[in-house]
Amino acid sequence: MVKITVNGQQIEADPKKPLIHACHTHDVDVPMYCYHPGLSPVGSCRICQVEVKQGEAPGRVMVACRTYPAEGMVVDTESPKAHETRRECLEFLLKNHPLDCPICDKAGECDLQDFTYAEGQAAGRTHEPRRPLEKRKSLGDTIVLDEERCILCSRCVRFFEEIPKQAQLTVSDLGSRSVISTFMDKPLKGKYQGNIADLCPVGALTLTKFRFQARVWNLTKMASTCGECSRGCSTTVEVLRGSDVKRIRPRENLDVNGWWICDIGRFAFSHINAPNRLEGSLVREVPGLSIARNEDALCAVRDMMMRHKEVLFLVSPWLTVEEGQKLLDYSKRFGSKPIFVSPEHNSEKDTVLHTGDPCPNRRGLTELGIEGLPQKAAIERMQKSKCIVLLGERIVELIGASAVEALPHATSVAVFDCHALDLPQVQACVGIANSAERTGTWVNIDGVKGPIAAVKPTPRNVRALERHLDDLVKLSPSTESMGARAR
Amino acid sequence: MVIVKRKELSFAEQLYIPEILRGLSITFRKMFEPKVTRQYPEEALIKTDVTRGQPRLVVNEDNSIACVSCGLCEAACPAYAITIDGGETEREIEREPKRFDIDMLRCILCGFCEEACPKDAIYMSDELELADYSREALIYDMDKLKRPKKALQDRIDYVNRINDRWQTPSST
Repeated sequence: MVKITVNGQQIEADPKKPLIHACHTHDVDVPMYCYHPGLSPVGSCRICQVEVKQGEAPGRVMVACRTYPAEGMVVDTESPKAHETRRECLEFLLKNHPLDCPICDKAGECDLQDFTYAEGQAAGRTHEPRRPLEKRKSLGDTIVLDEERCILCSRCVRFFEEIPKQAQLTVSDLGSRSVISTFMDKPLKGKYQGNIADLCPVGALTLTKFRFQARVWNLTKMASTCGECSRGCSTTVEVLRGSDVKRIRPRENLDVNGWWICDIGRFAFSHINAPNRLEGSLVREVPGLSIARNEDALCAVRDMMMRHKEVLFLVSPWLTVEEGQKLLDYSKRFGSKPIFVSPEHNSEKDTVLHTGDPCPNRRGLTELGIEGLPQKAAIERMQKSKCIVLLGERIVELIGASAVEALPHATSVAVFDCHALDLPQVQACVGIANSAERTGTWVNIDGVKGPIAAVKPTPRNVRALERHLDDLVKLSPSTESMGARAR
Repeated sequence: MVIVKRKELSFAEQLYIPEILRGLSITFRKMFEPKVTRQYPEEALIKTDVTRGQPRLVVNEDNSIACVSCGLCEAACPAYAITIDGGETEREIEREPKRFDIDMLRCILCGFCEEACPKDAIYMSDELELADYSREALIYDMDKLKRPKKALQDRIDYVNRINDRWQTPSST
């Protein structure tokens, strides 16, 4: 650690990390485009220039991302000289930047827009036409490149070189004709492509799935955790007007995922946005499943469980720790223990983030004492059982509707899922909140707790599984009388 | 506290008759002067460039909508009357609204949307009448809002004139 002075404030800085890092950790704002804390610095955008004085020499303007702190350094980020240099840099960056903020998806979270606004340079001084380039260049299925907006910061180029360690992008051509392109115009591959759209400080790289879908200031953002593998990457879930999840972005968490997320987790919102949600509850009547109040459905589930000696609680691996604990307490009354369905490891495992294990809360549930059972074994257990309660989002999807259909008709099944399951065995269906509508905790493979937060309201009459379990406890006879039943 | 004393009436005023005649003489004199009252629903209102009616969307000469669904009017709207969903288009402009709803029951005709628009795509028309049998029918969608540019030309010219006076560029 070395002692430096930043804007008159004495701070301790790590000499191995660039000056801009020291500034940012001490709440000194220095603009940046090409620098990213997760990537190696190159100093190509020159926007992070600050005035640095060392010893007796007069102050020099230097890029903060390629200068390393040294003992006794005096840094001024707001000196007239530093401001003037940054403003000149900005003018050059804007010289060919199209003024299409109304169309650009980045508007509202664009570093270039924010800094231009801060510097207050409203009008350009050039009269020449801006350089025309390709506006819609497809870089594979995930990313579209707008060459005009690109400021050649090369963050995306370095990302592929450094994080998945598989270089795919490069700056081709020279001088004013430089553009970002893939080698031989091949489409991008791999499952970390989506990150470059977040990295891009301007709107040059956009996600095909988010392109023109929403304005970023209309999105409600909430910190959450990815549920696609046991890594449990920290995410921000963004919802448009309380209805559809429009995008999922990584949230900085150095203990788990750094700044990145894989494309599987990034685009894992189709099941959250899936139509035909079960709104409210369904109970079996003479002709078939009919709409019922939640209380009536819970009573039906209770009666079903009371009729049988043994009850099999089969839960989904997306259950939170809190839900697992409530269920564990409740299931003790029936002398049984819930089992979570644990799908087999998939082939997505890689060295960056994805663990290949599709259970986000495996560790949390195992620590509670809920054991995992592979799909096949779980289905075999179901066949032996007379009374089955399926709980948790996507549980039906996991064991398959056909597995329930194959059960003997005498079997009684109750389903707590986001979607209804209309089969003769099913006695009651209760709609529950999905992972964008409830709060809770998942524990990842390394034991790091990840929160999931409700980012949008549940549909009408739908409640979180925890609330249903609370009500089931209230509706069920006391533990003592249950014990009497067992005798 | 201020105590205001009632005015003492003179004898002539107390008689009542001269005063009522004085009042009636004004009434009868006004009867023969030209009328300024307009019989509104039967008789149309006078509309000028300054009339700020309901907002309408501009349709270009080539039948395409001028709006690029940037969402600035939606953000500027103090009554939260505007809802826009964007989408991609094959046109050069890349982006256009797929849904553009203005809840006319919420709209307060303030003209902030017109002021916010960077693409000169929304203008306050001179249409003022608003009546229907249901609330749903008064949430105007894009088809109800579209107007050819020619129909809004007077207002467009007026806004440009005002903008020039304040020397701010009206459009990028």
